Amino acid sequence: MAESALPTPKPQKAPKKPTLSLRERLAANPVILKELRGRMRGNRGFITLTVYLGLMGLFTVLLYLAYTASTTNVYGPSNQIAGKVVFAGLVGVELFLVCFIAPAFTAGAISGERERQTYELLRTTLLPARSLVMGKLTSALSFIVLLLFAAVPLQSLAFLLGGVAPEEVMISLVVLLVTALASGSAGIFFSAIMRRTLGASVLTYAFALVSVLGLPLLMLTFIPAYDIFFYGYGSSPSPLLQAVLIYGFGVLVCLNPLATALFTEAILVNEHSALGMSYSLSNGATIPLVSPWIPYTFICLFFSLAMILITIQIVKRKETS
Amino acid sequence: MAPIIEIHHLRKTYGKLTAVEDLSLHVEPGAIFGFVGPNGAGKTTTMRILTTLMSPSGGEAWVAGHSVTKDPRGVRRAIGYMPDFFGVYDDMSVWEYLDFFGACYEIPEAKRASINKDLLELVDLAHRRDDRVEGLSRGMKQRLALARTLAHDPQVLILDEPASGLDPRARIEIRELLVELARMGKTIFFSTHILADVAEICTDVGIIEAGKLVAMGKLEEMQRRLMPHRRIHVTLIGKIDEAQALLAGVEGVTAVNVESQVEPPGRSEIVVEYNGDDTEVSAILAKLIGASIPVVHFSEDVRDMEAVFMQATKGIVS
Ligand SMILES: Nc1ncnc2c1ncn2[C@@H]1O[C@H](COP(=O)(O)OP(=O)(O)OP(=O)(O)O)[C@@H](O)[C@H]1O
Ligand SMILES: [Mg+2]
Repeated sequence: MAESALPTPKPQKAPKKPTLSLRERLAANPVILKELRGRMRGNRGFITLTVYLGLMGLFTVLLYLAYTASTTNVYGPSNQIAGKVVFAGLVGVELFLVCFIAPAFTAGAISGERERQTYELLRTTLLPARSLVMGKLTSALSFIVLLLFAAVPLQSLAFLLGGVAPEEVMISLVVLLVTALASGSAGIFFSAIMRRTLGASVLTYAFALVSVLGLPLLMLTFIPAYDIFFYGYGSSPSPLLQAVLIYGFGVLVCLNPLATALFTEAILVNEHSALGMSYSLSNGATIPLVSPWIPYTFICLFFSLAMILITIQIVKRKETS
Repeated sequence: MAPIIEIHHLRKTYGKLTAVEDLSLHVEPGAIFGFVGPNGAGKTTTMRILTTLMSPSGGEAWVAGHSVTKDPRGVRRAIGYMPDFFGVYDDMSVWEYLDFFGACYEIPEAKRASINKDLLELVDLAHRRDDRVEGLSRGMKQRLALARTLAHDPQVLILDEPASGLDPRARIEIRELLVELARMGKTIFFSTHILADVAEICTDVGIIEAGKLVAMGKLEEMQRRLMPHRRIHVTLIGKIDEAQALLAGVEGVTAVNVESQVEPPGRSEIVVEYNGDDTEVSAILAKLIGASIPVVHFSEDVRDMEAVFMQATKGIVS
């Protein structure tokens, strides 16, 4: 993907009108071209990729060794579980990467232009605000996507060990991609509202921390409420309250990438379903529960769209003060 | 001819501070308009409004017929802007830099190569084509920035202190470039506080002081209006009394003074103050030569523009 975006200086006469090819569309946005050129200049991109894959490979081996050494199974370590451990570990690391690296790529997108005093030069050209914002976001994300896809061969090691279903790989990829999109969009939003990249980075990381770690803490406060009906202190609560608690908890799960990953996996393993399950309330009625990755995906897409549109408006706005 | 830049009662306030107040001016196509004023006068503010970066608090402005408030895209298409302070992308080559901005101006890829080549030749940077932008000297960066403003062949160039921070040589190079660009048919609107630049290349001048336009017009007119006394220095190697008598008799001359200390010894200098236009100046010189007076140097006072400036802003300086 990034490959095709690299500049090919050969001038070509494209029949301008109808459907543009990916290359033409990328070339039509000079910001994408410029950013990718910068990111891939010399062997910068190559070194980043090599270091990243080296670390990920090392991590995979360590996970595998740690698992096989620590297992107490009398029949020896189970390859299936080893496969699951390696896969879960890799996805976990990538999720972390996507939450904290994607915003690092975009937190300087607009504020960096301001700091470098190139923002006004850009704003007096014919470059639309939309192209600037989308160009910055696309180039940052395409590098993240490159990193994610580069790690797919490592994940397929888990296939060799067994215990990982294709659905799991697909769902994890979707969750990773929409998470990258959402955190990248948040980064570009903070980059547009802050004058300095430092301020934008601080806000972006604060946001990422709250959404990755803060929400799970909030979920812990739900646990006492759950005790009531998980362990049934005397009378069971009304089915309505149960349903409200379950859905309330579900909403929190769908706002958090880690919780989404864990509960999606739980439903996959326990219910053998990638889409959802039904839950029985105390009165015997059942309520449907959607697998969290589905609402999570929509929430991320909606959030990203909102962030992008707001950012474009901010960039469009003239300086008034 | 319809003015290509028109400003009507422009006002800009920052909170309580009024940076520009009731500013009206117009610039004819093809002019080199020098926008002169002391620090904080409101030059940059005016230019930022003209370049659509900032909204005015009141009034209106048009560039090439496009309103800066209602049709900013039309304005952007018509102007090339160089801010007073600007950055370059440090990880780009000179050529990539121009190509990037060319693309931002929606110039098709196929045309950019030849445009960029021409631009680099124009600003004399063709030999640095593949060098990193960050490695260029300040003067070269300034010339590259000027080339960038030309990428889309705009009618109007708005340049905020294009010569600031440059050594005299680089400054003259920029000056020559501006003249060259005017010859190519561009209208140039530039701010400066270097009055020599104004006297040297401008066709029109506007003097701004504390947000208000205090004088505007053709350079020569302004000089005549604001400085009725022109001053000529004549250096001689003899016949000094004869020259003095001759000059005192010329119509329009109000004073003739002989400078005492002149280097090298053997030369004398006479300072002539007079009212009149250029034909009369050349008549004075012709008279001196006609009388076989050994003139080795004949020049009008270089401080003229400064004097005009001081005269125009007199009494308003806070
Ligand atoms: N963003 C801003 N916020 C508040 N005040 C400002 C702002 N920009 C400029 N000013 C004030 O407005 C006035 C005019 O400033 P401006 O930069 O237009 O002057 P200038 O003529 O360009 O000066 P210089 O020759 O120093 O560049 C100054 O008093 C300045 O302090
Ligand atoms: Mg200024």
